[in-house]
Amino acid sequence: MSVLLEARNLEKSYRLGRGRVLHAVSGVSLQVRKGEALALVGESGCGKSTLGRTLIGLTQPTSGKVLFDGQEISGLSDRAMRPWRARMQMVFQDSSAAFNPRRTVGESLAEPLRIHRRHGVRERVAELLDQVGLSQSVAGRFPHEFSGGQRQRLNIARALALGPELLVADEPVSALDVSVQAQIVNLFGDLRASLGVACIFISHDLSVVRQMADRIAVMYLGSIVEEGNGLNVLDRPAHPYTKALLDAVPRPDRALPPPLQGDVPSPVNPPSGCRFHTRCPIAQPRCATERPVLQPSGEGRQVACHYPL
Amino acid sequence: MDAEQLLDIQGLKLNLPDGTRLLEGVSLRLNAGEALGVVGESGSGKSLTAMSVMGLLPGLKASGSILFSGQELVNLPDKVMRKLRGARIAMIFQDPMTAFLPVRSIGAQIDEQIRLHHRVSRREARARTVQLLERMGVPDPAMAAKRYPHQLSGGLRQRAMIAMALSCTPALLIADEPTTALDVTVQAQILTLLREIREEGAGVMLITHDMGVVAQACTHVAVMYSGLVVENGPVRDVLDRPLHPYTQALLAAIPPLDGPRPERLPTISGQPPTPDNRPTGCVFAPRCSFVRSECAVRPPLTEIEEGRRVACVLYAA
Repeated sequence: MSVLLEARNLEKSYRLGRGRVLHAVSGVSLQVRKGEALALVGESGCGKSTLGRTLIGLTQPTSGKVLFDGQEISGLSDRAMRPWRARMQMVFQDSSAAFNPRRTVGESLAEPLRIHRRHGVRERVAELLDQVGLSQSVAGRFPHEFSGGQRQRLNIARALALGPELLVADEPVSALDVSVQAQIVNLFGDLRASLGVACIFISHDLSVVRQMADRIAVMYLGSIVEEGNGLNVLDRPAHPYTKALLDAVPRPDRALPPPLQGDVPSPVNPPSGCRFHTRCPIAQPRCATERPVLQPSGEGRQVACHYPL
Repeated sequence: MDAEQLLDIQGLKLNLPDGTRLLEGVSLRLNAGEALGVVGESGSGKSLTAMSVMGLLPGLKASGSILFSGQELVNLPDKVMRKLRGARIAMIFQDPMTAFLPVRSIGAQIDEQIRLHHRVSRREARARTVQLLERMGVPDPAMAAKRYPHQLSGGLRQRAMIAMALSCTPALLIADEPTTALDVTVQAQILTLLREIREEGAGVMLITHDMGVVAQACTHVAVMYSGLVVENGPVRDVLDRPLHPYTQALLAAIPPLDGPRPERLPTISGQPPTPDNRPTGCVFAPRCSFVRSECAVRPPLTEIEEGRRVACVLYAA
């Protein structure tokens, strides 16, 4: 499959005043092929949401490039970006904040179609509702009349309105109850199969990610520490951080191993060398001074660790 | 080996002023040294049950019985309840940012709580605060006590809140989604802490929607659905061999973290009923795949084996 989206050495930093700089994303390179689902996982503050927004052009990178279908889209003006927006869309976590409460959902679904001057708006809205498993008759209702799960379906329908080739979904199921979460996870699977749309899922929930993604990129303090086939990465993690994340997930079937100590260090003042060395159970002296780079380690996997597992 | 019965809730009902019934008759038991996980989806009534024990439901009409160490809590006068709350029963919440006043240091707030229930000097109170923070695994506790809530990380704030809750060594600790807002690595630290608190003899009631959290931190579990307990029992028994169709469906809907990846996840069709629209029979019947004619009569929560109760006609003798 050909490459749809590519990031080259992406950096995003924010000036905080008094000379302090927060490096939200540092040196990230990745590719998403057509129709593929990539998951960005990591703890809060690891830069996964910032990376998602930068990839889709909602935030401009400080340096580095984003290419969509082979053409650079980073640095484009809002006007120049407009035709590209139809090809990539975002699905946000909080579906109740994503809709105008005073408009019917039909009007909200029609809005992107009108802005992009598409024809057959009414038919398209009906088709979208059908694709996300809602009855066409709900178009005249208001957002508050829907449950959380139904609103997330509407949220997805709106993102699909212009027929995008890429969806970026930031925690699309984490606000939902388990039984509803399973419905939305299945819906994404169905949509990928029927529409061939590529997806980037941003999530902290490893079991959800395992179900939804073909590939997984694990982030820690702004950088990717491990990346590869989803099942391989989660079943046989190579980076100690990936393993620690997996070990910390409470499971019904086995006791938790001793947890990782401490908190994620501040991205304003990240540790030297390998950024994970302050919490790593197998850190060596070398890890405090020399920063490991992302290197291939077989099975199409890449790991940034001096001593991979 | 009869453990001391700490909490015995029988047929707890809660009504809104307009008569809408929020809890339909909840029954739960908790012994000292045990941790009871109360699980269920949003709106199932798990937080309302916890708040009833705390006596924090102004404007709602409660009936039934909540026995705490033999003392009836339902309709207990506010003045009496206030003495229990904080001292004998303490609660921690999902968001520690709202549990602490933002304009005072966390140490000052824990000191205040200690001095409210015990006659000790400021200095003694602070010494106890620092000791508590240290026990909760807060690094440099004397320094941390001087910090304001916003200066601490989420995990440290949660530890500080637990320290505050434990400041008067309560017999019962109620934790409402204490780790939901935390990252998994920090969550694991807090769950370990909760397990230690239980092992030291307190009773813990843990409200959560996460079956994994229950498995890690609890000895027993009660599954709630639409204002009722539909199943309860020892945590291993319920998770390994769920009896109620709702518990079974809930466990099946969790995507697996190892083993083969299913093509699709099993789902529960439809949605839970709203309180004003609850079926008269089994509350789960409209979504249940085993539904039969007997389900038109609501099944009582019945003990079917030692310590295991389930409310389902499939297990009627």
